[in-house]
Amino acid sequence: MPRQCDICHEARAIVRRPKTGQSICKECFFYVFETEVHNTIVESKLFKPGDRVGIGASGGKDSTVLAYVMKALNDRYNYGLDLYLLSVDEGISGYRDDSLETVKRNKEQYGLPLLIVSYEQLYGWSMDSIVAAVGRKNNCTFCGVFRRQALDRGALMLDLDHIVTGHNADDVAETILMNIFRGDISRLGRCTEIATSGEGYVVRSKPFKYAYEKEIVMYAYLRRLDYFSTECTYSPNAYRGYAREFLKKLERVRPSAILDIIHSGEAMHVAKDVQLPSLDRCQRCGYISSNSVCKACVLLEGLERGIPKLGISRTKQDVEAGPRENDLVHFEKLRQEALEMRRSRQKSESCQQSACACTENCS
Amino acid sequence: MCDATDTPAMESQPQLQKERVVGTPSKLCVKCKAAKPSISIRRSLYCRDCFVRASVTKFRTALSKSRKRMPVARARVMVALSGGATSSAMLQLMADYQRMELKGYAAEPTYASVVAGHVDESALFSGYDDAQICDIAAAIDIECRVARLEDVFALEGDRAALLELVHATIAPGTTRDQFCVQLTRGDESKPAREQLRALFAGLGSATDREDMLDIIKSFLLARLARQAQCELLLLGDSGTRIASKLVSLTSRGRGFSLPLEVGAETPFLGSSSSGVMAYRPMRDLIMKEIAFFNLWTRQPSVVVPTFTTGAPETASIDRLTESFVVGLDRDFVSTVPTVCRTVQKLELCPEALTAAQCIVCSMPAEANAQAWRNRLTVNVAPSEQSLEHDIAPSADIQSPLSSFGVTAHLCYSCQSLLHFAKPGVALPAFCLENYREQATASPPSDAENDIDADSQQRRESLRLRIEEFFI
Repeated sequence: MPRQCDICHEARAIVRRPKTGQSICKECFFYVFETEVHNTIVESKLFKPGDRVGIGASGGKDSTVLAYVMKALNDRYNYGLDLYLLSVDEGISGYRDDSLETVKRNKEQYGLPLLIVSYEQLYGWSMDSIVAAVGRKNNCTFCGVFRRQALDRGALMLDLDHIVTGHNADDVAETILMNIFRGDISRLGRCTEIATSGEGYVVRSKPFKYAYEKEIVMYAYLRRLDYFSTECTYSPNAYRGYAREFLKKLERVRPSAILDIIHSGEAMHVAKDVQLPSLDRCQRCGYISSNSVCKACVLLEGLERGIPKLGISRTKQDVEAGPRENDLVHFEKLRQEALEMRRSRQKSESCQQSACACTENCS
Repeated sequence: MCDATDTPAMESQPQLQKERVVGTPSKLCVKCKAAKPSISIRRSLYCRDCFVRASVTKFRTALSKSRKRMPVARARVMVALSGGATSSAMLQLMADYQRMELKGYAAEPTYASVVAGHVDESALFSGYDDAQICDIAAAIDIECRVARLEDVFALEGDRAALLELVHATIAPGTTRDQFCVQLTRGDESKPAREQLRALFAGLGSATDREDMLDIIKSFLLARLARQAQCELLLLGDSGTRIASKLVSLTSRGRGFSLPLEVGAETPFLGSSSSGVMAYRPMRDLIMKEIAFFNLWTRQPSVVVPTFTTGAPETASIDRLTESFVVGLDRDFVSTVPTVCRTVQKLELCPEALTAAQCIVCSMPAEANAQAWRNRLTVNVAPSEQSLEHDIAPSADIQSPLSSFGVTAHLCYSCQSLLHFAKPGVALPAFCLENYREQATASPPSDAENDIDADSQQRRESLRLRIEEFFI
C-alpha cells in the first residue's frame, strides 16, 4: 500500500526529507523548501523593495537552485527586487569554462541579466597561470581571496545593493568546525551571521543558511534544473576537507547534527578581552583589510615579483605600503562610478514618472 | 619507552605551519641541555626528569591561573577521581602540591585539605572494581568518598516523587514542540539500580546515554563535594578531552552553555543555587603527556569503560569526535592546544547569564530553543498554516490530566535527548528538585512560549501542594 504524504495526506509520498525524516510528495517538498527559504529571508529582514540583488552564480547546484528560488519567491511574494546573475571566471580550463556555459544557459532560462568578471581582466592573472607559478599547494588561498574581491568589484560595476550566495547549512557547519580546529576566533564569532554588515561595501547574505545540501540536490533533481557538477581540477587537500569528512560521518550518526552545530555556533560569543583585528582600508586599492595592504594586493605582488610564497608563509620579505604604478582599479573609483550610475538611473526614473514633456536634452 | 622523535610530517601540509624540531644540533634535552632526550612533545625533545618537572609546573600554573580568575579562599579541595589516567595523575599532582606547601615556609597552605571523590558506575558497567580506585587514593593517604550512580533514584522523605516522561516531541507531525511530564511515586519495590538501568534503556541512542551519564556524574560529584564540605572540585579533563568535548558539545547543540562545560573554571557545577566551584587544572596536558607522566612516576590507574568502549567510531557523537580529534592531532600536532586556546577565548553570551536552568542538565537553557527550531522547519501544508501561535498544546495528544508541560525548562540539547527517549521513562530525582526550585522561586520569564502561562502556572503551583496525594 503506497504511503501517503505526511503533510498533505493526499498525494503519494515519493521522497523522505533529509531534514526531518518525513515522507512527502513532490509538491509538498517544493512547498516546504521554498517556504523555509522565504521564512529565513523574512525573519532576517534581508531585503527591502527596490533592492538590486546579485546572485553569485557559479553554475553549480547551489547557485542554480538559488537563482531559481530567488526568482520564484521574488515573483510569488512580491519582494520587489531587481535580480542579476553575477559570475566569476577564475580561468580554470576544463572546469570553469564548462560551468560558465551553464550560467549562460541559466541566463536564458530564468531571464536574468548576467555579468561575468574574470581574474584575467581584473588582476591580469588567471588561475591556470597562478598554478603554473605557485604550484598546487596553496592555490586555493589565491582563488578564494581573489574571488571575494572580484565579487565586490562586479557588484560595484552593476551598482548592486546586495549579493546573495548559495552557501548552505552544510557549508556553514563545516566553517564553524573548521574555525574551531584552526583556532580562528575572529571568524568563529562572525561566520554564523546570515548577512555581513557591509562596512561600506555591498552586503552579502546566505538565504540557504538553514537548507541542507542534500535537500538542495533533491530540489535541483526533482525540478530538473540545469547545473554543472564536478570537482575543481585543482581540487584541494585543503583543510576544509577534514571538517567536511567529519561532518559527513556526524550526519550518519545523527542527521540533525548540522542544524545543532549552527545553533551552537550562533550562541558562541567571543570574550571581551580578546583582541580582534581592526578593519582598515588597503593603501593600494582601497579594499577592506585588517592590515595596511590587503591580502589580494600582497598575493599579486608576490606573483609579480616571482615570490609565490609572499602572503602565504612567513617570509623575511616585506610588502611596501603605499600606491604603486600597476595597482588594481581603486575601489573609490569604482564606487564613484556606481554612484553616478545610480544618480542617472534615479533621474531617468523620476523623469518617466513625472511624465515631463522635455525632449532628449534631459539626460 | 619512547626514544625517537615522531615520524616526519606528511607531504601535503595545507596552510598550517610545519613545526620545526627544536633542539640543539646534537639532539639533547631542550631544557637541561645535558641529558639524552626520551620523549618528544610537539617536536620539542625532553629528557625524563625535565619532562616530569615540566608537567608538574604546567599543573601548578593552570591551578594558580584559575585561582586568580575565580578565587575560593582557603578551600577544601575534592579531586574527582574516576580511576582513569588523567584523574589519577591529577590526584598525585594535587597531593604532592599540598604536601609541598605544608612542608614549606608558607604561613598557611593555599588549600585547607584534599580528599578524593569517586562515582561508582558498576550499576551500568561490569568488570568494575571500585576497591581498586580507593586503593589508588589510599596509596597516597588520601581519603576517598564514593557515590553510586543509582543514588539519583534513591528517594527520601514524604515529598519523594519522580518526573516521568509522558510525551516529548520536536517537529514532524506536531505543530509545536511539546514536552510533558507527570509526577509518579516511583516504584518503591524496584531497587534503585533497576530504575537507573530502565532510564538508560529508555534513551534513544548511545549519544544520549553518554550525555545522561555525564549529567548524572556531574550532579553526583557536586553533591559529594557539598556533603564533604568542600568548596572546590577539581575535574580531570585533559587537553585532549577538552578539545574533543568542545567539538562534540558543539555538534550536540550545546553552544549556549559551552563555556561552562569546557572552560577552565565552572562557577556553579550542579546547580546555580547549590553548586560548587570547579577547576580543570589538567587542561594544558595532552593525553600523551599524561600517559608518560604516569609511566615514569609509576602512577597506577584503571581503564574506565563507557558505553562505546571498543565500538566502531560511528557508534556515538563522542566516540566519533574523540577518534577524529586524536587523528587530526596526529597530522597537525598543534591541533589540541589550538582548540584549547579557542575554548579559553569564548565566554557566555549575554542571554546565558540570565537564562533559567535546564531541569535535566542544570546548564543555562536558551529561552527560544523551541521557536528557533520551529522557524526553520515547515511541517504543515499551506492550508493549515494559518495561526501558528494560538493552537492549544493539548489539542493533539491524549495525555493524562495530571501531566504538565516543561518545554520552557529544558535546554535545546536536552529537548533533543528527551525527544528520542521512550515515553514512560522516569527522570532522576534531581530533575524534580530543580523544577520545584524554579517553579516556586519565580514564574517562567518566557511566557510567550506558553499558552495561558498564568493559568498554567497557577495549576502547577496548586499541583505541587497536593502532589503527595496523587496515587
